[in-house]
Amino acid sequence: MESKLDLLQGTLDLMVLQTLSTIGPLHGYGIARRIEQVSGNEVLLNQGTIYASLVRLQQRGWISAEWGVSDNNRKAKFYSITKRGKKQLTEDAAYWQRLSMVMSRVLSMNEE
Amino acid sequence: MNVRFWHRFAALFRRDKVDPDLSAEFSSHFDLAIEENVRAGMSLQEARRQALLRFGGVQQAKELVREQRSLPVLESLLQDLRFGARLLRKSPAFTAVSVLTLALGIGATTAIFSVVYGVLLRPLPYRNPQQIVRLWEQSATGGRMNFADPNFDDVRAQNHSLSALASFWSYDTTITGHGDALRTPTASVSRDFFQVMAIQPIFGRTFAPEEQRVNAPPAALVSYSYWIQALGSTRDLSSVHLKMDKQPLSIIGVLPPGFHFPDNSDIWVPSEVNAETPSRSAHNDQLIGRLRDGFTVDHARADLDTIALRLKQQYGSDTSMVAVAIEPLHRAMTNDVRPALLILLGASAFLLLIACANVTNLMLAQTAAREKELAVRAALGAQRARLVRQFLTEALLLSFIGGGFGVLFAYWGLHGLLALAPKSLPRLEDIAINLPVLLFSLVAVFAVSIALALFTALRSTSHDSRDALSEDGRGGIGTRSKHRLGRLLAAAQLAAALVLLVGATLLGRSLLRVLSVDSGFRTDNIATMQLGFPFDAPKAERVAFLSQLLDRLRQIPGVQQVGGTNNLPLSDAGFADGDFVPMNPSQITPRMKDLIQRSLSGNLEKDPALAAAFTSFFDELFRDKSRLHDADFIVASSGFFNVLNIPLLQGRLFDERDTIDAPHVAVISQSLARQVWPNQSPIGRSIEFGNMDGDPRLLTIVGVVGDVRDHSLESLPFPTVYVDYRQRPQVAWNFTVVMQTTGNPESVFAAARGVLHDLDPNLPPRFSTLSQFYSASLSARRFSLTLVSIFSITALVLALAGIYGVISYSVAQRTREIGLRMALGATTREVLGMIFKQSALTGGLGIAVGLLGTFAVTRWLQSQLFEVSPTDPLTLAVVSALLILVSLAACWIPARRATRIDPVIALRCE
Repeated sequence: MESKLDLLQGTLDLMVLQTLSTIGPLHGYGIARRIEQVSGNEVLLNQGTIYASLVRLQQRGWISAEWGVSDNNRKAKFYSITKRGKKQLTEDAAYWQRLSMVMSRVLSMNEE
Repeated sequence: MNVRFWHRFAALFRRDKVDPDLSAEFSSHFDLAIEENVRAGMSLQEARRQALLRFGGVQQAKELVREQRSLPVLESLLQDLRFGARLLRKSPAFTAVSVLTLALGIGATTAIFSVVYGVLLRPLPYRNPQQIVRLWEQSATGGRMNFADPNFDDVRAQNHSLSALASFWSYDTTITGHGDALRTPTASVSRDFFQVMAIQPIFGRTFAPEEQRVNAPPAALVSYSYWIQALGSTRDLSSVHLKMDKQPLSIIGVLPPGFHFPDNSDIWVPSEVNAETPSRSAHNDQLIGRLRDGFTVDHARADLDTIALRLKQQYGSDTSMVAVAIEPLHRAMTNDVRPALLILLGASAFLLLIACANVTNLMLAQTAAREKELAVRAALGAQRARLVRQFLTEALLLSFIGGGFGVLFAYWGLHGLLALAPKSLPRLEDIAINLPVLLFSLVAVFAVSIALALFTALRSTSHDSRDALSEDGRGGIGTRSKHRLGRLLAAAQLAAALVLLVGATLLGRSLLRVLSVDSGFRTDNIATMQLGFPFDAPKAERVAFLSQLLDRLRQIPGVQQVGGTNNLPLSDAGFADGDFVPMNPSQITPRMKDLIQRSLSGNLEKDPALAAAFTSFFDELFRDKSRLHDADFIVASSGFFNVLNIPLLQGRLFDERDTIDAPHVAVISQSLARQVWPNQSPIGRSIEFGNMDGDPRLLTIVGVVGDVRDHSLESLPFPTVYVDYRQRPQVAWNFTVVMQTTGNPESVFAAARGVLHDLDPNLPPRFSTLSQFYSASLSARRFSLTLVSIFSITALVLALAGIYGVISYSVAQRTREIGLRMALGATTREVLGMIFKQSALTGGLGIAVGLLGTFAVTRWLQSQLFEVSPTDPLTLAVVSALLILVSLAACWIPARRATRIDPVIALRCE
């Protein structure tokens, strides 16, 4: 296996928010699977760590949780993004865009 | 971050609900994962394996969630607390004894501290109280005296360091016009008094200049409580018609609530209504001042000393002041009681230390039982710090619960304490369990917990865990050092108990010595009736009234003899003393007699020539200081000596010859006779003592009576000159009638009240008995003794419990060893000897350290002792012997138990 990128807390949170914003209400397993798929398996993720992130996001009021039933009639806890979460997502996403632009410019500086 | 904090905090307490929820979520996660894997073609087994792999560690995930969810630090603290509480519940005996012991220690310390705080530490209830100072004239010998009027005026005018300076004097006056006539505490204060105290009337006004001069119509300010209780809170002060000592009094203002300075006063009048005494050696004024902002006591002292020196240079021997003594008011008020209170605080601290030592031993014994558990935890990786924290929380729990009960004990105990306290204790009303006191108990609780935890934890976790875990866990090296610590603690307790017991015994012996002092007068079956007259009633009137009163009181059935005096022995009235001149017959010139005659029949105030001649003659008489002698000046009746059984040693007492126009006579005390006329009879000699009451007639000595310890039982009798009330009634504005009764003195109160009422219904009497005064003079001593005795007995009980515990425990631990010895042939005697040897070492150490301690500590006790040395060998020997005996008794039971050990059982069991 190639080395996978370790995730910082904050970035995992951001990914969870993005996932929920795009897909809509989803359970913990689904969120973890989605992140794995979208990142093309670049992301190193013990799926269990997603739950710490979910707790954090809940405490901040950016997502809400409710027990429900999955497609295959399994009981699962579904998470959805809140209005505040959406706002946070927009801000964070903008921040990341700017940061990555600056970083790539800096890192591609040629030796003068 | 704030939002999360509250979620996390709340989650601490919702623990039970959240965990099953998480488990459910995890299992649902696995179900979904397995399902997807199966759909992707894996076998059930493979699907499960993959799901587990991809999930990562379940426990770790749970931990991560938990970390996010709540506050880890608090969580583990709560866990420790819960664990600790469970431990305490499991051993109720240990918990009960520890809590009780700590409660006793903390309760005692809290109660005493509340007294110390209220009296010594709490700031006085005035604005910037640290600026208020008391001042005295200081003589060349360093003694302090009240100020003389002219010196007061000069210091007030010339100083730079005080923003205000005033004089005050307190006494009782009879107030009539509102209900019954009542003796009311009154204060006579000079111009700037309320400026010094920084007090303004809440309504009305302060004194106007026309009220602050000689012979001005009496005006007064009243206290808030007096206004409420006696004046009915009336807003219209002009409607109040009161008389003070039969003079109409106008009330001009009401002072703020809680102000009663000095001496619980309810009424304040201007001192300027009395003429100034021009003599610079008539020490009549108590001075109080306020420092200017930015000035310290030392600044003021330097400033005032300069003035004193200047006055001394100017007036020479007219003034005896060479310096000014100055002290903050709070200090001055509490100087007398400070040593005793600090000693009590020290004693309570000792008690607390003993209590802590006891509980530490108990905790050590407890942790010994948990040795295996601790070793396992240590082996599993628990850090020493975590274990220490565990002990700390247990100790905190014990201390808080003990402290809580302690504060309760202190609260109840304080009531008893205050009831027992001498009435003369300053700031009695400021003593309570208030916030600063509670803060102190909190600090004590924390200090106790830390001490307990440190001792226990360090001892318990220091040894190698292998020892504890091995089969032969008992009797390892670690336990032996724990024994030593336990025995050391027991020895320390004994030492502290010894110190306390010695202190109590010394105080007790002092009290007994004071009780056995020959006071010089009888105290039982004597009723007293205190009366107060206006200062300047006409002499003849007062004499007639008193004579009639005494005659009628004598008629009361049950009354054997009657007498009176203006200074009852052992009452808290101040004694008036001064210098008199013993006269040689050659000094009693016709010129002198003529001057005396003319000053009596003439008018010194209106005739300046006479006044001048008079003054210069007497200044000349008193100039030679070496001829002067100091004595108390007391007005009495002949019955006074009979009632109090003061023996007549030479000559005669006052009798019917001694009318006001007859030659004036005096009776002197034996010590004065010996001092002034050492090898001769003083009968027939004359003295001039008119400076005390303004009557210049010579006093001829007709009798010598026995000495009386009237100031205090503990000080030597003061030389005294007694004059007859019929000849010199002027200064007897306070007069106490004494009645010797056949039965209980209180039985004549009603009849005496009736007799008085017939003669003057507006004269309120205060009844008591002489034995009550006697008793009251001992109340301070009794108070200290009672408290220290309670502490020392408690300390003794605790120390004995400590020894018993330690020896018991040691016997239990050595059961196998003893069993072995007995199996090998040791006799009962030898086993007993073994145990006793150990106890003797402990006891001996304790007593030795205790004796050293008493030498160090009882130095401070010196000020409280009377005719007993602080290192009195008899006391030390007796107390040590007592402790040895009692410790041996405490060891007896465990020692007996040791001899009854069945070697077979002992060797078989673990």
